[in-house]
Amino acid sequence: MSTRTSTSTSTSTSTSTSTSTSTSTSTSTSTSTAFRRIVRRETHSPRSVAMASAVVLAVVALAYVGTEIVLSLFSQPGLLLSPAAAGTWLSGLPDQQPAWAIITVALLLALLGVVFIVLALTPGRLPKHQLTRTGRVVLVDNAVIAAALAQHVSDHTGIARDRVTVGVSGRVVDVVVTPDAGVPVPNERIRELIAAELDVYQLVRPIKTRVRTAQQREGALA
Amino acid sequence: MNDTNRFVNRTLLLLIGLVFLAIGAGVVAVFAWPAAADWWSAASTSARAWVDDATRQTLIAGSTLSWGAAGSLAAIALIIVLLIIALARLGGGHTRSLVRTGGQDSPAGRIIIDTSFASDALRASLDHRPEILSSRVSVVNVRRAPMMHLSVTPRQNTSPGEIIDDVDHLLDNLAALTGADIPSYLSIHTGLRSKLARDQRRIA
Repeated sequence: MSTRTSTSTSTSTSTSTSTSTSTSTSTSTSTSTAFRRIVRRETHSPRSVAMASAVVLAVVALAYVGTEIVLSLFSQPGLLLSPAAAGTWLSGLPDQQPAWAIITVALLLALLGVVFIVLALTPGRLPKHQLTRTGRVVLVDNAVIAAALAQHVSDHTGIARDRVTVGVSGRVVDVVVTPDAGVPVPNERIRELIAAELDVYQLVRPIKTRVRTAQQREGALA
Repeated sequence: MNDTNRFVNRTLLLLIGLVFLAIGAGVVAVFAWPAAADWWSAASTSARAWVDDATRQTLIAGSTLSWGAAGSLAAIALIIVLLIIALARLGGGHTRSLVRTGGQDSPAGRIIIDTSFASDALRASLDHRPEILSSRVSVVNVRRAPMMHLSVTPRQNTSPGEIIDDVDHLLDNLAALTGADIPSYLSIHTGLRSKLARDQRRIA
């Protein structure tokens, strides 16, 4: 596994230099940093949707507070609550009713805050793998790899395609075969087929293969 | 890929999340914990006194307006403007020209090759291939250098190895055609369309 990683990194560096030889040698390092940046950005979520939702909520809340302040400055009645009334309500907060409604809203707000914090701090890795088959930077959705592996296993074992289910995650290829009644599943053969096909793709991140046999359903003999 | 500043995204998410959590947890604490309720009553009374005092001292002469209120309004407006700028800066970074030479580089003057030229050429070739459902070509500026992004959605069960080989060949041809070896990368996607489309292998 470690050898595969090291070969793939060396291929990717050699390509990035070869692509830039036509321009000039000084750009070779900038091209490989550019590729590293691309891979990093394509395999991780930008968190744009979460950020936009959070910002819109914050803007709406601030705009509301601003509006109330402006209304009170011009001695107009507040939309919901003038700043002075809001102050009174806030200082009497522990005795405000209905307590359960206030607590529920506060809990929801805290929960939303936790979700935002988690989204801000977790890496947000997307379900993709980097392939270095020809040295070009290639990023492939895990589902594409899974479907191709399932097709490959089906083609070479004679097991029907819809009886092979493959899941690909960041570290594991999970193959589940639903066998025909009485036909043994060639586990070792499937493992070899998967390894051979993965060797063609040249995944940058090493991946383990797990082959399982699904339980035969009742009455599936027909 | 685009030019979204992800550090800003995450920083804003973290800050807004912390504010939400602090307010929510604070209110729950005040209701659920008597000591917090006592502290809250004392703190809010003194805070109100301070606000009233500050408002009185910063009153603009001859009016009921205070500098304190105006200042807090200005602060709120500033934060809103900054947040909206952050929203407006999401995305972007795509460029319309694939190659742009300086005027002195060639006797013919400045040469600009449009992104749509590369896009049309690549997509015309890819559309002939039965295993490829859709393709998209865009050029992004990465550290001020153009980078071509070819994004392909194949039929389900197509080996990514085949697609990579095909695309590699096409990109080499494009480089020969334009005389410019633009750094490029390929992304292979799945989606609703590839799930619903007929599986090519069944016909063969």
